[in-house]
Amino acid sequence: MTDLSFENVSITYRSSSSRGDVAAVREVSLDLPAGTTLGIAGESGSGKSTLIMSALRLLPKSARLDGRVLLGGKDLAQLNFGQIRAVRWSQASIVFQGALHSLNPVREVGRQIIEALEHHSKDTWTSPEKRRARMLELLAEVDLDSAKASAYPHELSGGQKQRIMIAMALACEPDIIIADEPTTALDVIVQKQILSGLAALVADRGISLLMISHDLAVLSAVCAKLAIMRHGRLVEFGPSDEVCLRPRENYTKQLAGAFPQIGDQESRMNPRTLRPAEVTRAQPFTMSDEVVLEAKDVSVSFATKRGTERAVRGVDLSLRRAEILAVVGQSGSGKTTLARALLGLQEVEPGSQVAFQGRALPRKAKALRTFRRQVQMILQDPAGSLNPKRSVYEAVVEGLRVQGIRDDEYARVVGALEAAELTPAGDYLESIPQELSGGQRQRVVIAGALALDPQVLIADEPVASLDASVRGEILSLFLALKQNLGMSALIITHDLGLAWNIADTVAVMKKGQIVEYGEVDSVLENPQHEYTQELLAAVPRLGSQSLVRNE
Amino acid sequence: MTRPARNDPHPADPTDPGPASATHSADPADPDPASAAGSTGTADADEPPAGGSFAGYFLRKLGGAATSMILVIVLGFFAFRMLPGDPVLKIAKERPMSPAQIAELRSQYGLDKPVIVQFWDYLVGIVTGDLGESYVYRKTVSSLIVEYLGPTLLLTGTAALIAIAMGLWLGQLSAWRRNSLFDKLASSTSLIFWSVPTFWLGLILLMIFGGTLQWLPTGGMITPGLDPWSAAGIIDVIKHLILPVVSLVVVVYAQFLMIMRASLIEEMSEDYLTTARAKGLTEDEVRRRHAVPNALLPTVTVVFLHIGGLIAGAVTVEAVFSWPGLGKLTFEAIRGPDLPLLQGTFVVFSAIIIVMNLAADLVYRFLDPRVRRA
Repeated sequence: MTDLSFENVSITYRSSSSRGDVAAVREVSLDLPAGTTLGIAGESGSGKSTLIMSALRLLPKSARLDGRVLLGGKDLAQLNFGQIRAVRWSQASIVFQGALHSLNPVREVGRQIIEALEHHSKDTWTSPEKRRARMLELLAEVDLDSAKASAYPHELSGGQKQRIMIAMALACEPDIIIADEPTTALDVIVQKQILSGLAALVADRGISLLMISHDLAVLSAVCAKLAIMRHGRLVEFGPSDEVCLRPRENYTKQLAGAFPQIGDQESRMNPRTLRPAEVTRAQPFTMSDEVVLEAKDVSVSFATKRGTERAVRGVDLSLRRAEILAVVGQSGSGKTTLARALLGLQEVEPGSQVAFQGRALPRKAKALRTFRRQVQMILQDPAGSLNPKRSVYEAVVEGLRVQGIRDDEYARVVGALEAAELTPAGDYLESIPQELSGGQRQRVVIAGALALDPQVLIADEPVASLDASVRGEILSLFLALKQNLGMSALIITHDLGLAWNIADTVAVMKKGQIVEYGEVDSVLENPQHEYTQELLAAVPRLGSQSLVRNE
Repeated sequence: MTRPARNDPHPADPTDPGPASATHSADPADPDPASAAGSTGTADADEPPAGGSFAGYFLRKLGGAATSMILVIVLGFFAFRMLPGDPVLKIAKERPMSPAQIAELRSQYGLDKPVIVQFWDYLVGIVTGDLGESYVYRKTVSSLIVEYLGPTLLLTGTAALIAIAMGLWLGQLSAWRRNSLFDKLASSTSLIFWSVPTFWLGLILLMIFGGTLQWLPTGGMITPGLDPWSAAGIIDVIKHLILPVVSLVVVVYAQFLMIMRASLIEEMSEDYLTTARAKGLTEDEVRRRHAVPNALLPTVTVVFLHIGGLIAGAVTVEAVFSWPGLGKLTFEAIRGPDLPLLQGTFVVFSAIIIVMNLAADLVYRFLDPRVRRA
């Protein structure tokens, strides 16, 4: 059994740019005794990834490490390259975010697992047949069909890829598994499956687990101890329950509050943030009875090789003025397709009706353009939806120019940026996306939509790629837009906490159908449909290692 | 794990002959996960749909290539009819001919018929492999092309192989050791050579090694009288090959180097390389097994396009070294103007480029499993 400890570790990235050297980790000491579980929480830039990379000496050449990282009592810095290669994977392995690009796209996943065995064959898996048998055994352990061994990464879903990563990490029977955001980008149900699977495997074998995440609830569901990092420093460290439920530091409280507990009345219609958006009207708009956007019996199907797939089946929805409607469901439930259908971007089946302000959605390009001025879309990834070469002004003004709105161009852009709380707007006009933070970029995207004075915003996972503290800011902005401008919003998400934070109504979608639809308070506090109950049960709760003890 | 065991259907075998009309999406990176929704059974709702068949893919690409070929054939006819200069008058200028003789020559070449009839004859000729008779050589164009195609393929094929191997190998090393002395030297020398005109380099090499030093022959493909299949003949051909191949390779390898370098640098920041390192692979293994196969993907398309261009671009080198290839033949046909021969070489050059494109598509599909879904 192997202990891992960080002794007074500082990591600095040398940089020739004007910013000079960047200290990513400052004087962190942490211990992971054999057979224990530790979670490190922090936002992007907190240095948590840098810290765990140092545990296998995987830092880039530009990084300088001070202090000591001890693995099984040996200082990693003292090992030569051959020794460190032997340590990698056989003593400590890493589970990266498999849902993204951690698997080689042009190799079969089975072979990628075997590759790890080939390098650390120990004495057990000496022949190709034995290695193949071991690989199939690993797939069975993570609940994957053996046929998946010959699949390529793009042929698998996010959850399946994450299982492959876990199988690969287990391959050489390591003493320590390091998990780097293992469930980010997965929906709650798959997240629960992955986390409980990981927790069970770790517990059965007495493996130590070091997991990092931005989501405190995810960590607390699996790990016995928690460490909170901010700006490279260790802010708080202690038993999981204590850190989550009785945090000492303000920053921990803020992190814990970012993902609300459903049923907690304090966070209802009140996303927690240090920078709440201002409500300027004396009498804020509230949900009215006037229906703005209505869908009746909307169905969408795609022709695929397996035959016709019905992505959306007979959906009825109505969005009223100043209403925020959250459509929740897993990946593949058809919620994005539904949004595209509501925007007229997706061909619908005959018999489907979409009406905006009582009139059917136009089919002609010119009329659709007018419609789209009223209904604006906001996408998930602000980095991807902004053209990296265009300034903020150009990004926001584009919609105006497309719609042929020529008067007061400058004033409209500034107004939109200020409505999106980028103040003073003048400071941002010339910036390009690269110079902005994730939250600022999402505000620019929102400003681009607001510039056209739309009636409705349709947002697809607007906060999924943002940090916990920024998430609260953006949600509070949505709420303020509704209260100040009477805007309606349809928000697509797999995050039930988001619905609890800001939505008036919620529609739960499964396999293209809406299985439950109603007021947020009643649906989330007293779910009727078993799928809604399943979704709610899958949301990790703060503290108490819920997933470990239940298994 | 506590869930019931999955029973995902095995993703369809890529060679499985299925309906070729997989219209789901032409974009292999279809970002819309919802398109996989609604599948029945125990399959993961989020699992991407299986790919199309190889036969379907091949037929589609073949159809595209055939369309390009038809356009080339049509263009080949009309483009050369628009060239200035009457070939018959040109021939008539060289020796005294009476108007009656000129008219007879015209009818002999079929130039007195209406254009549409000439076009029909041309099409029939292409289908039957009869590309007409060269005005200058007095031989059929097909026999000329067959005679000259071999040397061209020998010259450009050798040059292409060496240039690609050298360019890709140096390119991946440069990228892996980015900003090292090796990288700087390799990139800058290749770029200097890239900026040198091929014919100029050919002439300089000819002067030095063929003229002053007299190490190597100055032109042609083989010393007259030698049997090309005897041992002495083969060595003689290789001697003749060295200078033209060097002039071709030195000028073009830079583009392969730069493409490979750029595409590997792009891959170097990918997460799966960190995974590979964490698994304990050596840096060499990470490069050879993971980074290079991925970096090759964007490179392949460009490389194949350039091979086609290399063959067509051999005209100057063949002219400089009097290499008896298609380039030289074209060069002489332009001076004619020898219409049937020009048409013939034009069609053949275009066909080579189209075939190379088709080959690129097929190789790409073999290299990149993601394209198998398209």
